[in-house]
Amino acid sequence: MPAARWLRWGQARPLLQFWPWLLLLLGLMAVRFSKGSLVTDAYALLTRPFWPGTAQGEWVRSAQGSGDQLRLRQLERENERLRGLLQLPRAAGERVEAPVISRQTGGWWHQLVLGAGALQGLRPGQAVIAPGGLVGRLSSVTPSTATVSLLTDPTSRVGVWVGRTRRHALLSGIGTSRPLLRFLEKDPQARPGDVVYSSPASTLLPPNLPVGVIQSIDETADPAPEAVVQLIAPLDALDWVQVLVR
Amino acid sequence: MAVLSRQPWCVATSLLVPLLTLAAPGWLRLAGVAPAWAVLWLLPWALVDGSISGGLAGLAVGLLLDALHPSGASLVPGLVLLGWWWGRIGRKGAPIQGTFNLALLALFGTLLLDLSLMIQWLLISWRNHAAALVLYEGSAASGSVLDRGVNPAPLALPGWHWDDLAGAGLQVLLAQTLVTALLAPLLCSLQLLLWRQLGAAWRS
Repeated sequence: MPAARWLRWGQARPLLQFWPWLLLLLGLMAVRFSKGSLVTDAYALLTRPFWPGTAQGEWVRSAQGSGDQLRLRQLERENERLRGLLQLPRAAGERVEAPVISRQTGGWWHQLVLGAGALQGLRPGQAVIAPGGLVGRLSSVTPSTATVSLLTDPTSRVGVWVGRTRRHALLSGIGTSRPLLRFLEKDPQARPGDVVYSSPASTLLPPNLPVGVIQSIDETADPAPEAVVQLIAPLDALDWVQVLVR
Repeated sequence: MAVLSRQPWCVATSLLVPLLTLAAPGWLRLAGVAPAWAVLWLLPWALVDGSISGGLAGLAVGLLLDALHPSGASLVPGLVLLGWWWGRIGRKGAPIQGTFNLALLALFGTLLLDLSLMIQWLLISWRNHAAALVLYEGSAASGSVLDRGVNPAPLALPGWHWDDLAGAGLQVLLAQTLVTALLAPLLCSLQLLLWRQLGAAWRS
């Protein structure tokens, strides 16, 4: 007599007759214990043609943009309040919009001429921003026009800092479309992709205006490392700018 | 004898130079660099009207263009020299008519004009650099400079420096020279024709 069998062949036969149901039960248990992965995957596969299209995506992005702007405005207000408490220089308040009536972004001089001037409250030295960030400062003003010296102009020197590391540097125009970031320390700990903002220590510009993104860094430069910065604002396509009137 | 400079509306055409410089049409730029409109206007004027009128016209146009740009290097020395030189060529030598000759004169003129700017920027850079070093050494002696190992004074000097001129400056020079020389046969020959016809009519 072989070892004791708790289930004899004759008794197992009825169970084998129901093997499809057993398989179904096993399948249901698998679905149950896998938290419905098979079902949701199948559902996703079947309903893919009916997923939300680009229109819905744009609505969501638009709503997200509006939400971000509101949050940004709230943070700016909070930042202003805290700066006031700490007696730090405040960000510029009023902005004057001005059309760009002449654009010279190549050649010996990199400058814009704006269709607004002293009559609109513009003064030399004021910061000029465009969609994306800072583009330069007013170098001269007439009653109805103003000349902007762009950040790419070799006469431009602006105090900035790297947002991530909070290390200060000097943004220098070198006559090309991408200015050079000259660090004041031997080890600035910056890397490509870091965003550059106007320095809070600067007396010429409002603090923390976005300027550009570091593209490459030359660690061997003398006397300190240098980085090439891609400006965020598209200088070649500017039609309107805003002047920060203090 | 200079006749063009005695006609007010002829003189008024010089206003086209700053206007075109400001307009800076994008489709006439080469690598983002606009042609030297002053050269394109001054060349036919000086060839027809002589060296004195050419030099004075160079001075006037140079002053107009300098007003459009921040202080620093000036276009006046280069344009006065070019006006005087082209005036002499127009009076002393055989009449310039060939488009190739005009292109060649415009090419050398733009080259000279841009080189005059580069020399001025180099001189300004050296002067500022020396002044910054003196200032830094004085501050270092008094212990007021940040002890970071980097001299910040030369870094903060604005303007074109040798490195910039050898890089972007050379590109600007080549692009402007080329695009001006390409436009000169078309624009200068028409102006030359106009000024010569008007000059002959006024002399007779």
